[in-house]
Amino acid sequence: MAPSKKASWTNAPDAEELEKRNTVGIHKETVTHNTSVDFPGHVPGEDEAFSLDRFRDGFSVDFHQNDPFHASFSLMGIDASLSNAFRRILISEIPTLAVENVFIEINTSVVQDEVLAHRLGLIPFKGGKEGLHNFLKWHKKPEPGEDAYKNSYDWNTVSLELNVKCTLNEDADPREDDPRKAYHNAHVYARDIVFTPTGAQEQYFAGDDAIAPVHPDILIAKMRPGQQIGLTMHMHKGIGADHAKFSPVATASYRLMPIIKITRPILGADAEKFQKCFPDGVIALDKVSAKEAAQKGSGYESHVGETKAVVADPMRDTVSRECLRHPEFEGKVKLGRRRDHFIFSIESSGQWDSDELFMESVKHMKLKCKKLEQQVMDMVR
Amino acid sequence: MVREGYQPPTAGAGPRGSTHTGHEVRTQMTYICGDCGSRVSLAKDAAVACNQCMGRVLYKERTKRMVQFEAR
Ligand SMILES: [Zn+2]
Repeated sequence: MAPSKKASWTNAPDAEELEKRNTVGIHKETVTHNTSVDFPGHVPGEDEAFSLDRFRDGFSVDFHQNDPFHASFSLMGIDASLSNAFRRILISEIPTLAVENVFIEINTSVVQDEVLAHRLGLIPFKGGKEGLHNFLKWHKKPEPGEDAYKNSYDWNTVSLELNVKCTLNEDADPREDDPRKAYHNAHVYARDIVFTPTGAQEQYFAGDDAIAPVHPDILIAKMRPGQQIGLTMHMHKGIGADHAKFSPVATASYRLMPIIKITRPILGADAEKFQKCFPDGVIALDKVSAKEAAQKGSGYESHVGETKAVVADPMRDTVSRECLRHPEFEGKVKLGRRRDHFIFSIESSGQWDSDELFMESVKHMKLKCKKLEQQVMDMVR
Repeated sequence: MVREGYQPPTAGAGPRGSTHTGHEVRTQMTYICGDCGSRVSLAKDAAVACNQCMGRVLYKERTKRMVQFEAR
């Protein structure tokens, strides 16, 4: 008996099929195929079980920008569950040092004590990395009724002072109407905050490593002659899940890599209009070559030398779908997003370097997995 | 939290926290004039007016005690 012909699904998926599975469809009013399908049992006869080797082969990183306050990079070949875990860890689980307690001796400015304390808490500070990450440990909040300074040591509490008094500037022109010139200390800035090291902090936060505001020009309060602010602050380590002031990032987000596919030629004036449907640099204009025009069925026949639209840099696209609104492009373009290509953007608030933050999030993720592994083992036992 | 707040008077309270029992203690209070901003000391039965400008709006001074807040 002759072997029966195998069904087509028993063959290994070709490149086209793999790309189709890996694309989120973006249409005029709908987004389709948004869940990943590379898990066991989804396609009959295909394994797709997670394996470290397969992940290692398919995974790659590409940096686009790496500045202290902003890192942008692509993670390719990773599932949304993992990259989303990294994003969430970045926002809410990496510890930073921030003002937690404010002891106000005097505040006669128009800013209320509560508001002033809140503003001070939100100021991002920087300092020596070794001291911030390794020397400083968690602070345990005293129970209600206990002394406020209990549990405060040099290894968990950083003390700051802010003492400013607004006075009349005798040297200024009497008709001067800029309060910053007419008075001394009319504006209180973050740079007026003084770090007072205690104990071993003098070694860890000496010189350039001193605890100081990342941005010295943050305005804290405005005053008029006779008004005064005098307070001390205690900084502790905390995480973003507890309060946003502890979040080490201004924002950490990702987007999927946009795909623009021109399926049929867009030529002449249409090409220019098509280019205007996208942000600058996404679509380039090219000339139809003689070789393309000679190709039968390409759609370029007898269009030699005409302008045509080509995709230059899809990463810059915002996926506004503007091109889908115009009837002249109907059936000529396909929009989508690559499901396993995450373009990360991490903006550090200044205490950590932005690229350092991502590595830290990976470290946290590993730790979580180790904890889970141990719990699963205990469960089996 | 050691925040300053209103403490309800307790019956038969001792000397602590009560200002009305001891008439001798603190008969003089300092206020701030709402018109000219000068400090005004008022004796026990003096008229409520600023002695510089006769302004009748007087503000209570801020506490001299430390006040603790959470920066949240
Ligand atoms: Zn007065």
